[in-house]
Amino acid sequence: MDTPRTNESNCWACHASLAASPLLCPHCGKVQPSAGINYFQAFAAVTGGQPLLTLDLAALEREFHRLSRKLHPDRFARASEGEQAWSLAATALLNDAYRALKDPVQRTEYLLELKGQGVGEQNAGRNKSADRQPPADLLEEVFELNMQLEELRMNQKMGEDDPALTADLTRAQAHFDGLLAQVDSDLASQAALWDSGDDTARAAALKSMASLLDRRRYLRNLVRDVKDALATPAL
Amino acid sequence: MAYSDKVIDHYNNPRNVGALDKSSETVGTGLVGAPECGDVMRLQIRVNPETQVIEEAKFKTFGCGSAIASSSLATEWVKGKTVSEALEIKNTDIVRELALPPVKIHCSVLAEDAIRAAIGDWKKKNGVEETATVAAH
Ligand code: FES
Ligand SMILES: [Zn+2]
Repeated sequence: MDTPRTNESNCWACHASLAASPLLCPHCGKVQPSAGINYFQAFAAVTGGQPLLTLDLAALEREFHRLSRKLHPDRFARASEGEQAWSLAATALLNDAYRALKDPVQRTEYLLELKGQGVGEQNAGRNKSADRQPPADLLEEVFELNMQLEELRMNQKMGEDDPALTADLTRAQAHFDGLLAQVDSDLASQAALWDSGDDTARAAALKSMASLLDRRRYLRNLVRDVKDALATPAL
Repeated sequence: MAYSDKVIDHYNNPRNVGALDKSSETVGTGLVGAPECGDVMRLQIRVNPETQVIEEAKFKTFGCGSAIASSSLATEWVKGKTVSEALEIKNTDIVRELALPPVKIHCSVLAEDAIRAAIGDWKKKNGVEETATVAAH
């Protein structure tokens, strides 16, 4: 479904099934070529090889440490050149996969990328502007708050303190924190739908998650900038 | 990342920063965001009702250097053009002019989106028919 390589691959050395462990043969322990293996498959022991969004983080971490040890290039110093290269590639893949999967937002972004719905540069401008735009009121709000932030920074530079403006921003910060929390909880519900729904529900969940993540980026920037601005004392 | 000289020039001396009266009949306002990074841009145009020539353009961008340069350049380019000429401006023209690297393409897309949104707003205000302006690209 996702990649040319399927979970039905077999070990190059002993031909055992690699369904539960694509990077390392569960039977003979040989390292495997990792080309075409996605992050969810790399952690097949936790995900069953499926692109699941609800993951047991403790299990993920345990599997990461277990595989890191077993795939460590030092262990292949005397192996064939091919196996040495595979262990390097598998280790790199494992690290990337762990970093992406342990964080729910990055995990979702990776899933969308896998499904061709990512926001990477390769997709920039591919959609008509109207499809890419968040609701107008969110944009207005984000823009207005940026204007206030700029004013606050200007005042700070001049050594002036504007209590009313600071109070405004503090209120705005709480407001946007709340919106961000709402987005995160919506993301969690959509993730549950993705994991358990039928094809129609999954397609809908994917779309919702894409727009929730878009929304999240605007909010995240703002929350960060407001926090910075409020933390900087007037000179 | 290394910015090109043209980006740095527009960044240090942005042209046409500011605002036009949003409520004026002759002003079109485009407020757009880049989902890739969460940056936002406002671009405004003042259009001559007789000639449909864009006589003034202003922008305000909260974003990276490339987005600021792209919007600055966009305001320069739309000025003196008719509305339909301005719609011909493509983000790829901006990429070329500013020598933007591949990771900054979306910043130029933001500027093109902003031009389209500003013109769309002006058309709506003035009851101008929305023709097939959104090119498939
Ligand atoms: S990084 Fe997003 S507009 Fe440039
Ligand atoms: Zn084997």
